[in-house]
Amino acid sequence: MRNIQIGLLLGLRQIQRANVWTNVLIIFVMTLTFLNLIAVSGLLVGLIAGSERAFREQSLGDILVSAKADEKTILGSEALAREIATYPDVSSFTVRYIESASVEANYSERRDLRGERDVVSTRIRGIDPEVENTTTGLAQRIVEGSYLSPDDEGKILVGSLTLDRYASGFGDAFDTLGDVQIGDKVRVSVGNTSKEFTVKGILQSKVEDVSMGMFIPEKEFRRIFNRFDRNADQISIRLKPGVDENTVKKFMVAGGMSQYAKIETFTEGTPKFLTDIKNTFNLLGTFIGSIGLVVASITIFIIIFINALSRRRHIGILKAVGIDKRVIELAYVTQAAFYAFTGSLLGALITYGFLIPFFDANPINFPFSDGILLVETSSALIRTGILFVITLAAGFVPAWLIARQNTLNAILGR
Amino acid sequence: MIDATNIYRTFKTGTIETHVLKGVDVHVAEGEFVAIMGKSGAGKSTLLYQLSLLDTPNEGSLSLNRVDVLTLSEQEKTLFRLNTLGFIFQDYALVPDLTARENVMMPLLMRGEKWVDASLLADSALDSVGLVGKYNNLPGQLSGGEQQRTSIARAIVGKPKILFADEPTANLDSVSGEQVVALLGELNARGQTIVMVTHEPEYTHQCNRIISMEDGRIVKEKKQRRNKH
Ligand SMILES: Nc1ncnc2c1ncn2[C@@H]1O[C@H](COP(=O)(O)OP(=O)(O)OP(=O)(O)O)[C@@H](O)[C@H]1O
Ligand SMILES: [Mg+2]
Repeated sequence: MRNIQIGLLLGLRQIQRANVWTNVLIIFVMTLTFLNLIAVSGLLVGLIAGSERAFREQSLGDILVSAKADEKTILGSEALAREIATYPDVSSFTVRYIESASVEANYSERRDLRGERDVVSTRIRGIDPEVENTTTGLAQRIVEGSYLSPDDEGKILVGSLTLDRYASGFGDAFDTLGDVQIGDKVRVSVGNTSKEFTVKGILQSKVEDVSMGMFIPEKEFRRIFNRFDRNADQISIRLKPGVDENTVKKFMVAGGMSQYAKIETFTEGTPKFLTDIKNTFNLLGTFIGSIGLVVASITIFIIIFINALSRRRHIGILKAVGIDKRVIELAYVTQAAFYAFTGSLLGALITYGFLIPFFDANPINFPFSDGILLVETSSALIRTGILFVITLAAGFVPAWLIARQNTLNAILGR
Repeated sequence: MIDATNIYRTFKTGTIETHVLKGVDVHVAEGEFVAIMGKSGAGKSTLLYQLSLLDTPNEGSLSLNRVDVLTLSEQEKTLFRLNTLGFIFQDYALVPDLTARENVMMPLLMRGEKWVDASLLADSALDSVGLVGKYNNLPGQLSGGEQQRTSIARAIVGKPKILFADEPTANLDSVSGEQVVALLGELNARGQTIVMVTHEPEYTHQCNRIISMEDGRIVKEKKQRRNKH
């Protein structure tokens, strides 16, 4: 207790009497280390988290109902939808019909019938325009033309990445249609059925279900593609804010819905590649952070070492006066703790007070996502803890090295 | 109080051995004020370090305050220094980050004195060396003489059995030097045992005995009557 008090006093005075700019510089280094450790990996993970969030909001919903593995569609879709509508926790849901289709453009102008046709394979979705918009805000994705009205017939919305002029940045990664403008006609074929549609709007999104797909009203979809049983392919459910999707899912399963369909929460329904990338980025972030941590601990080590070395004589004097060397070590550990604490505090303030709100408001425009800064509190705390421990060790070791030297040699500078 | 017998101290630098103390006997009784004199390089400082436990002799026996101190562990020596010895360095050796008061408080706090008590004791020690009102000055804000008196306050604040001083006046002008010696004389008059190394004969008038060293040996001892100015 006595030792701690004296150690703290000595440490405090050392910080007080140190050059202001030295202190500022050290704290700056610690702040950067904190940001490197927390914010950099948070940004990497946030790229994926932004993508996940977009997937959730624009396509999958909080809970996704789809066909069971051995079925083609959701059985008894209509009854299921009626049941879902009675759940108090559900804020909205949308029923989708999906088919793989090939879509051809520019066929009327084509002269050379043996030449290559302008065609893409895509997935076409039949939706109730209003309900879909309430659930996923699909209308907001329109960049050209306009959204579907409830009574539209023969109108289609196309994803931007099915068109040359939007997808050119991606090279030849996938098939696209040539010159297609609003009001142009395209021919949609599913199996042996074909129908001509007029392009009403173009959708742009970071979610490929939207940007690489096409949408028509569900009534027309059922009629053209013979879905007379009214069994749908997806029901995407949006829950009220704050409701836990796992609880609702359990409830749905308990109500027997899983006999007719596969029920997944958003997390379960997230494409595996996203989860994989997220884990990889997390690892990468940790790796980058670790390098930062090593650099910071070396920095602290050097700073404290030089500090203790330049005070070697004073350390000797204190020992000669009868001060225990553990007290002296504690003084330097206190100093290191102060730098770690102030640096982390500043880093946390910058992260939570500025960076997170900033990236939420201005996401990083990434090809497959709008990147945000994602900081999980638990992992941030663990990392800060590690930063602390390493900093304290980096402060202790040089103090220990110098405090253990012969007292007289230290005083006389030998 | 001090019984040092046949003290040898040899330094080895590579293959070269330097015999600095070659069988020194020193006996100091309680209440004495002893001066150690001699030419530069005679081994005065080295002897003082042996006596004050800052260094360990290669050979010989040493008892301080009836404790056989050479058998103590490093930590026990530190504790013994804290509780029984005081040391005044030639260049004051104050901790520059601490105020005069805090410098003086250090040994008291280490002994387990309460903060308030230590602070009061430190202030009165500073008062007694003539530093009234300079408690919160940093060493850099004190003159050399004031720094040396602060260092004396630190050495005596714990009421040590023996006070060692290695050329406490060497860095001071004659006025400050005289002040410091007068201060030591007063302490001695109140019963403080003091061993002081000095170059200057004019500062030995307060001492009751002068030990002369030459080349690692004691060559002359002279008792004298203390004469106040
Ligand atoms: N650690 C050491 N290694 C080698 N030689 C040493 C060591 N310490 C002291 N000496 C030598 O011992 C001799 C005596 O040194 P000491 O410091 O005791 O002299 P001194 O009498 O105090 O001299 P001064 O009056 O100049 O202070 C010197 O020649 C010095 O070089
Ligand atoms: Mg000397």
